[in-house]
Amino acid sequence: MSDIRLVNLTKSYGEGNAVSDVNLQIGEGEFFSLLGPSGCGKSTTLRMIAGFIRPTSGQILVGRDDITALPPEKRDIGIVFQNYAIFPHMNVAENIAFGLKLRKLPKAEIARRVTESLKQVGLAGYDERYQRQLSGGEQQRVALARVLVTEPRILLLDEPLSALDKGLREEMKFWIKDLQKKLRITTIYVTHDQDEALTMSDRIGVMSKSRVVQVGTPQEIYERPKTLFVTSFIGHSNVLDVRVLRAEEGSALVSLAGQELRTRNGGGLSPGAAAKLVVRPENILMGSALGPTDARLEASVISEIYQGALVRYRLKVGDQEIVAERQNQAHVERFPPGAEVTIGWDPEWSEALVA
Amino acid sequence: MSISEGRILTRKAGFSVSEAFGGFRLWWLVLPAFLFFLAFFLVPVISLLAISLNKTVPGVVTLTSNLTLDNFVRIFTRAIYYEAIIRSIVIGVVVAAVALALGYPLAFLIAKTEHPTRNTILMVLVLSAMQLDMVIRMYGLMVLMGDTGLINSALMWLGITSAPLPLMYNTFGVVVGLVQVTLPFMVLSLIGIIRAIHPSLEEAARSLGATRGEAFRKVVLPLSMPGILAGSLLVFALSISSYVVPALMGGWKVVVLPIHIYQQIAEAGRWQFGAAVAAVLFVTSLIAVFVYHRAAVFTSGGRT
Repeated sequence: MSDIRLVNLTKSYGEGNAVSDVNLQIGEGEFFSLLGPSGCGKSTTLRMIAGFIRPTSGQILVGRDDITALPPEKRDIGIVFQNYAIFPHMNVAENIAFGLKLRKLPKAEIARRVTESLKQVGLAGYDERYQRQLSGGEQQRVALARVLVTEPRILLLDEPLSALDKGLREEMKFWIKDLQKKLRITTIYVTHDQDEALTMSDRIGVMSKSRVVQVGTPQEIYERPKTLFVTSFIGHSNVLDVRVLRAEEGSALVSLAGQELRTRNGGGLSPGAAAKLVVRPENILMGSALGPTDARLEASVISEIYQGALVRYRLKVGDQEIVAERQNQAHVERFPPGAEVTIGWDPEWSEALVA
Repeated sequence: MSISEGRILTRKAGFSVSEAFGGFRLWWLVLPAFLFFLAFFLVPVISLLAISLNKTVPGVVTLTSNLTLDNFVRIFTRAIYYEAIIRSIVIGVVVAAVALALGYPLAFLIAKTEHPTRNTILMVLVLSAMQLDMVIRMYGLMVLMGDTGLINSALMWLGITSAPLPLMYNTFGVVVGLVQVTLPFMVLSLIGIIRAIHPSLEEAARSLGATRGEAFRKVVLPLSMPGILAGSLLVFALSISSYVVPALMGGWKVVVLPIHIYQQIAEAGRWQFGAAVAAVLFVTSLIAVFVYHRAAVFTSGGRT
């Protein structure tokens, strides 16, 4: 087990870059997710770490070793593929023994470790089965067992849940996370699914257009998105046009449809310039729920959408539309369409970003 | 989970098709093909094989009820005939092996070429080799490999050899000719199978500690076995039943079973004996199919 560092990692194809200047440091035992839409370079990054793609420039360091030029078989890095890649001509036991046989371990030792690792992934007694006799979830577990039995320094997971149906995906999410915690193995998880990244990761690196645009804990990524891309990619946000009145360290005063609001300063704002104000629907308070220090706006209700546990409001401020969500609890205030209402939010829960 | 669902769906689909066509009525669709097969393959072949059980009378083709195994006894007791059987089999095996050795890398390259234009060009090259008539291709080979052909003239002109090398009118020439004819069949049998091996299987092997060579030996090659076996069977069957290639490239000196059949029937009019040799050739092919099937079961690790 080791930490891993990517230093100025770049991969170019012809004129364009698939991965541009990626710098990441992932600590020992950490569960790190690379999150981004398809084509953002996250899979290319993973494949460079695994050794299937040679970087154009930059370095990959595991512990103190520079592995940039090593072939995949010398890296001691395990990878689980999206399609699991179970060898169809070998049974489960032979699949799991594959890496151990290559390491020339004694037969008895191999047999012992295969049995042990099948027990670990909850597939004791599956030794003789073949790939086509396994469900997607079972193949997933075999693929993990096959990698973990070789005790790699780093574990790479390439969209391992995307081929599973929804119920199983939820279950496997927690199962993988628990296993990772128990083994304390440094893990890099590639996904385009924000739920997976938010629930499983210690830290997330959001990638867009070949670059890592933000690195942080799930909470930081969700609550303090640094760019409009991160804001719109993770969860739902209201993105509102505002003008900067005053910009200070950490906070700013902006105007929205003639009304003044205090907000956090995402950085790079200058007075007089246009900016985007980002606030999530669940953080918008309405009517009597507002506190004395909250930023306030006068709005009118366009429509009320009842969703059971949630009530969603479409609101209008000036010529801009805002979506607010409220928990449908006892005694909650309801607002009919056409009603004039004061809305607002804690300034700490909104962010002004450069437009 | 998804696999079992898929199976259920397939079964349902199959059921509804046979329901719609009323099960039995679907068979009427293959009637024309069956009649053609019956009239122009089964009847002539069976009658040919049947007269092999009659005493050989030159010029007579009619089947009589006087059955005897004389023709077969003759084949298996006279060296000239049973040696031809062995020669045919050995040539078939060697041609299959050479075609595999040459064809596998080519098929691998084509299967791994993702660039659409390059892939098309490679496929056209392979297929174009099949478009010319076999006789014409053999004459082309003779121009190349004869005593005064291009290869020998060049070697002698360069002073590398003083007399022409015996490239033709021998077993070597026949093998070269047969490999040339059968190579496309081998390549086409392999391409689909190799392409179906997902690249992640090789990558998984690599990251588990296998070198490029080990990953090929332990993963790619075993998974290519269905194509290797099918291609080898096809090439073997084409080789042992080829008449034109041994006739032209062997110059009647490499006597294999089809040469005997031709000589007995076309030259001596001994239909019954020629039919017996044909029967032996046919059974040899059947045995090859049987061996193929056993090998397929064995190499698939009992996953049938």
